[in-house]
Amino acid sequence: MLLIIEVMILSLLSPYFLNLNNLIEITQFGAILILLAMGESIVMLSGGEGIDLSVGSMLSLSGVIFGLVIQAKYSMEVAIIITIIAGGILGSINAFFIAIMKMPPLIATLGTQYVFGSLALYLTNGIPISGFPKSFEFLSLESTFGIPNQILFIVIPISIVILILMYKTKFGREVYLLGTNPIAAKYGAINEKKVRFIVYIIPGLLAALGAIISNSWLMTARADAGSGLELQAITVACLGGIAVEGGRGNLGAVIISVLIITMMNSGLQIANVNSIWQLAVLGFVLLIAVSFNHIISNILSKPQKI
Amino acid sequence: MFAKYIPKPGRREYITFLLLFIEIIVFGLLAPHFLSERNIVRVIQNSAEIAIVSIGMTIVMLLGGIDLSVGSIMGVIAIVAGNMIQRGINTFFVLIVSVLIGILLGLINGLLVAKFNIPDMIVTLATMNIWRAVIFMLLGGRWLTGLSSDYAMITKAKIFGIPVLLLVIFLFYAIFYYILMYRPFGRHIYAVGNNIQAANLNGINIQKIKIASYCLTGGIVAISAMLYIARMGSVEMTIGNDMAISCIAAVTIGGIGMKGSGKRGSVVGTLAGVMFIAFLRNGIVILGIPSLLENCFIGSLIILSVIFDKISIEKRRLKQ
Repeated sequence: MLLIIEVMILSLLSPYFLNLNNLIEITQFGAILILLAMGESIVMLSGGEGIDLSVGSMLSLSGVIFGLVIQAKYSMEVAIIITIIAGGILGSINAFFIAIMKMPPLIATLGTQYVFGSLALYLTNGIPISGFPKSFEFLSLESTFGIPNQILFIVIPISIVILILMYKTKFGREVYLLGTNPIAAKYGAINEKKVRFIVYIIPGLLAALGAIISNSWLMTARADAGSGLELQAITVACLGGIAVEGGRGNLGAVIISVLIITMMNSGLQIANVNSIWQLAVLGFVLLIAVSFNHIISNILSKPQKI
Repeated sequence: MFAKYIPKPGRREYITFLLLFIEIIVFGLLAPHFLSERNIVRVIQNSAEIAIVSIGMTIVMLLGGIDLSVGSIMGVIAIVAGNMIQRGINTFFVLIVSVLIGILLGLINGLLVAKFNIPDMIVTLATMNIWRAVIFMLLGGRWLTGLSSDYAMITKAKIFGIPVLLLVIFLFYAIFYYILMYRPFGRHIYAVGNNIQAANLNGINIQKIKIASYCLTGGIVAISAMLYIARMGSVEMTIGNDMAISCIAAVTIGGIGMKGSGKRGSVVGTLAGVMFIAFLRNGIVILGIPSLLENCFIGSLIILSVIFDKISIEKRRLKQ
C-alpha cells in the first residue's frame, strides 16, 4: 500500500500535475466520487465480505427524490434535508438486510441496486427532472476563493468528519477490528449488529450528498445519474489500498486515489477517448491495483509466518 | 432406472417449482392469453440464453464465487461468431471456435481468481467492463445484422409438438445435473464451495477446480451466444447487458447463493428459477404493469429468496 502511495506521489510530481490551479480545477470532477468512495471504503473495511453495489442507484434514487421535492414547490433547504434523510433510509434498508438479517452483502446490495435503480426510473418515467432555481447553480458551478464550492462546502467538511469518525473515535476502531478479526471483536464486547448497521447507513448518506452535487452540476435529476459509479467507487477504494477482505487500508489514500482516477479520466476525455474505454481502463487499473495489493501484503506477511 | 436421479423430496428445488406453478396459475387466472401455447413458446424462446448461461452461473456460485462478466463475454463471442457466419464459414466450425474463445475468456477469469487470489467479484467486474469496451470497439456503434444461418431453424422447429429449443435446454440441464451430482468433478465443486479447507485436506486441487469451472462457464456462455444469433439474427451494442443479474437472480431464487451457509442446491432449482423469472417478466407485460418496475420485482425476489433460505437454514439448525 505504501508503494501505491509512492506511485501516486510520483505521478503527482510529473510537471503537468504540479500545476496547483489545474489540480484544484480537476478536483471538482471528483467530488461525487470522493463521497461514494469513502462510503464504499468504510463498508469494505468492516469486513464480512462487505461491499455495497447499490451506491450508484442510491445516488440516482435520492437525486430523483430531490428533484420531485423541488418540483412540488418546496424550498431548497427542505429538499436537501429530505434527500439526506432519504439517503439514510436507503442505506438503512441495506443495513437491515446485512446487519440484522445477516444476508451476504454482495447479494443484498445487488438486489437493492436493482430495486432502487428501477424505482428511480419509475418515479421519473425515464424523463430527467429539470427546472431547478437558478440559485442552485451556486453549489457546483461557482467557486469561492478559487476553490469550487462543492469541494469547499461539502467534500472537505464531510471528509474531515469521516476521517475523525474513522480515526479518532471508538466507532472507527471498532470498524477496523470487525474487519480484521470478527471473532476477537465479538469477545471484545463489540456490538457487531450496531456497528455494521451504522457502517451501511454511511454510504446512503454520502450518496444523498453526492446526488445533491450531481443535481446541481447537471441542473437536472436523472434516473441514471449514478449508473456505473459503484464500479468507480470500488476501483478507487481498491486503488487506495483498502483490502477487499477488510480491516486494512487508509481513507486518506482513497482520497488521493480519487484524484488520480479523476485526472486519468479527464486526461482521457481531453484525448477524446470514448467513455466506454474509460470503463475498460478502470477495469484494468482495478485488476492491477488489487493484484498489486495482494503481492505487497504477501511480501509483508511472509516473515511473520515463519 | 432413472428413479435414483430424481431429487429427493423435501429439497429446496421443489419450493421453487411450487412457486413457479403458483405464479403460472395466478397469471393464468388474471390474463387469459398467458397460458396460450404461443405465449408459452415465446417465453421459452426468449429465456433460452439466460437458461443456458445460468448453468454456468450455478457452477460458479456453487463454488462460492460469482461471475458478472457473462453478458460481456457473450457479446464478444456473438460478434466474432456473427462475423464468421457473415463470411459463410461452416456452422459447426463457428461453434467450435466460439466455444474455444469462451473457454479462453473464462480461463482469464479463472487464472486471475485462482492463481492471483483476487476476489471473484472484483475480477469479473473488471473483465465485464473490459469486454464491454471490446464489444464497443468491434461494433463501433453499428449493428451486426442479417445473420441468417442454416441452424436458425432451431429456435422455431418442433419435434412431436415440443419446441426443439426446449429440448436443447432440457438436454443441457440433464447433462449438467448428472455432472454436478454424480461425477467427481461436480462433487468436488460442492466440496470446495461448502468447506474449502476440508476440500483441500481431502486432496482436491482447488485451483484446478476453480479454473475449470470458469472455463466451463465460458464455454457454456459461447453456446448461448450461438443461440442468441440464431434467435435474433443480429447483434447490437447492448447485448447481454442484463445477463449477469438475470442469471444471479435465477440461481438465487433456485436456492443457491448463500455464501458460507452450505451449497445444497442443484441446476434443477436453477431451471425453475429461470422459468419463474421468465414468466414473471412476461406476466408483468401482459398485465400492463409498468415495465420500468420489472427490475424492482426481480431485485426484491432475490432478497426475499435469500431471506427465505436463511430462515429455513436456521430452523433446521434449531431442530438439530
